[in-house]
Amino acid sequence: MNVIEINNLTKIYNESEVKVKAVDNVSLQFEQGEFAAIVGPSGSGKTTLLNMIGGLDKSTEGDIVVDGVKIGELKSSKLIDFRLRNIGFVFQAYNLIPVLTAKENVEFIMELQGKSRVERDERSIALLSAVGLGERVNARPAKLSGGQQQRVAVARALASKPKFVLADEPTANLDSKSTETLLDIMEQLNKEENITFIFSTHDQRVVNKARRVITVEDGHVVSDERRA
Amino acid sequence: MKKTFIMAWRNIWRNKRRTLITVASIFFAVFFAVVMRSFQLGTYDHMIHQAIESFTGYIQIQDKEFFYEPSLDNSFEYTDEIVSSVKKVENVQVAVPRVESFALASTGLQSKGVLVTGIDPVKEKNLSNPENRIVKFRFTPEIVDQIIKEVELPEKQVELIKANENNSYSSFSRISLDMALDSDLEKILFPVIEQKASFESDYLNTNDDGVLVSDRLARYLKADVGDTLVLIGAGYHGMSAANIFPIRGIVKILSPELDNKLVYMTLENAQQFFSLGNRVTTLNINLEDPDEMVESQEDLQNAINNDQFTVKNWEEFNPTMKQQIEGDSVGGVIFIGILYFIVLFGIVGTVLMMIAERKRELGVMVAIGMAKVKLSFVLVFEMLFLGLIGTLSGLAASAPVVVFFNRNPIKMTGEMSKMYEDMGFDPVMPLAWFNDYFVWQAVIVMIMVIIACYLPLRRVRKMNVIKALRA
Repeated sequence: MNVIEINNLTKIYNESEVKVKAVDNVSLQFEQGEFAAIVGPSGSGKTTLLNMIGGLDKSTEGDIVVDGVKIGELKSSKLIDFRLRNIGFVFQAYNLIPVLTAKENVEFIMELQGKSRVERDERSIALLSAVGLGERVNARPAKLSGGQQQRVAVARALASKPKFVLADEPTANLDSKSTETLLDIMEQLNKEENITFIFSTHDQRVVNKARRVITVEDGHVVSDERRA
Repeated sequence: MKKTFIMAWRNIWRNKRRTLITVASIFFAVFFAVVMRSFQLGTYDHMIHQAIESFTGYIQIQDKEFFYEPSLDNSFEYTDEIVSSVKKVENVQVAVPRVESFALASTGLQSKGVLVTGIDPVKEKNLSNPENRIVKFRFTPEIVDQIIKEVELPEKQVELIKANENNSYSSFSRISLDMALDSDLEKILFPVIEQKASFESDYLNTNDDGVLVSDRLARYLKADVGDTLVLIGAGYHGMSAANIFPIRGIVKILSPELDNKLVYMTLENAQQFFSLGNRVTTLNINLEDPDEMVESQEDLQNAINNDQFTVKNWEEFNPTMKQQIEGDSVGGVIFIGILYFIVLFGIVGTVLMMIAERKRELGVMVAIGMAKVKLSFVLVFEMLFLGLIGTLSGLAASAPVVVFFNRNPIKMTGEMSKMYEDMGFDPVMPLAWFNDYFVWQAVIVMIMVIIACYLPLRRVRKMNVIKALRA
């Protein structure tokens, strides 16, 4: 079953006199439980594509259907709520809330969803334990290494029980060991909880782990390779 | 909501220095505004107390024409009917009849126009209470020399005693205030003052044929207790009024203007002197609750229900003082307004910096699903915390100052003192006790915070998440 359907998606930037086609007539489908990487050189349009899938950016043409909902037609406040309930985000620069502890960062999204305190407590501790940070639940981001912060970010992304997780260059700021650990954790969560992961990445180690690799160049999908 | 509070509280301490500077600016604004306003209001209260509550009363009942032409010809019959009508009004604390008119006073050496005030010596104790103002101590240059030689005093008190040379006092408490005495110095100095500077002066009896003369007037006329005062004036319907009166006592009136011209005599004596029969010029009324003055004025007018009389409040029969207070008050409010306006820009600057620094963080919160309204609450709470810390600390710091200077008013000296005296007021500045003005500072800061919130909230509402994430 398709979780995401992308139909003839185009994004044109009009920031200067020259119009730039960042994404050009892309159509893709993602099924539940995929572990996919969107790869391509800088400026190829992979981050723009990811932002549009996540409802952070609007398309110029085409539409994205998530679980039967055309997200381009949602109003701003509805779209925010849609993201809260359906999409998990992992950013390149971790982007944790610095004044909250690791556990509070993970709980935060569940609190926005209106989950009970007991449920928040249980799930946040379980997720942090799953990413190997069971002992650092009360540490603030400034006290964690880059790899640890990114693992908290993954736990946060999964806290809301999203339909899929979008990860924009999640390993770009991490060393090899942290990258390896993070990818193992995400792969394990993908398999155990059947959550769809979509990465945009340059990192060959991520590509190697991915079971589907979509290559984007100049806004076009030039290849879409599925692996066993 | 709890997490919103926690985030807001922790956010304001992310940049401690900036928070402390912002809080300090609010603290100082609130502190100075409270102290300044308290000084102003305290001074007004003092002016009203000495000129209104302690002399004219808050309300006067007069003949209708008297208000426009304050002459004895516009006096009225003092009857039991009007007394019983006034007594019916709840807020009336005291109502005393008076005869007030001008005459020329002379002791042979000097002469001066004076305000002759006929009073009921017993009833008047409830209003201006001249008995309480009878001069008990006089600091002549010789007496000051003797005191300084006899008692070892700190330099400051010696200077203050010298500065008060030729002054008269009706109480130890005023001596203590003027000479900045603490309880230890009072214990040393008061027995010596009692021994050296005591002054014999009497109050009027009910049927007394003598007069009380205000201190400054007595000094001008070079008159003393036991001397004779000649008064010449015009009586009711042009009758001539001339007589001699023995001086029974000297009274120290706080208001320098009145202290320069007041002569008290019994009501009966004044009615006889001015050929008034049973007539009086005013019925002076003090109120239990002066804040209800306008309502009481209406009640009195209704209770009297007679076209011959008019009921006036002090703002009507003393408009100069009202205008003086209003003018000064507006000046003070403008100054405080400027102070707060400057602080407002400081707060807005802080908020904008907070927003600019955290643009990406705010973008992330919206990206992961935080509604912009909830995010706005975080920012509003941050501002409220800053405002509350600054305001509460400012109020807390100003409270002891208000209490201290309310109990120990500042006695002005030098040119400032002269200026106050020229304006007819006692040169003393007490701070007003806690009142509406205290609460208003908190309200003003909260309004400023709400104004300062507008820009950040607008930015959050119009936030482009992609641009914020790239910041």
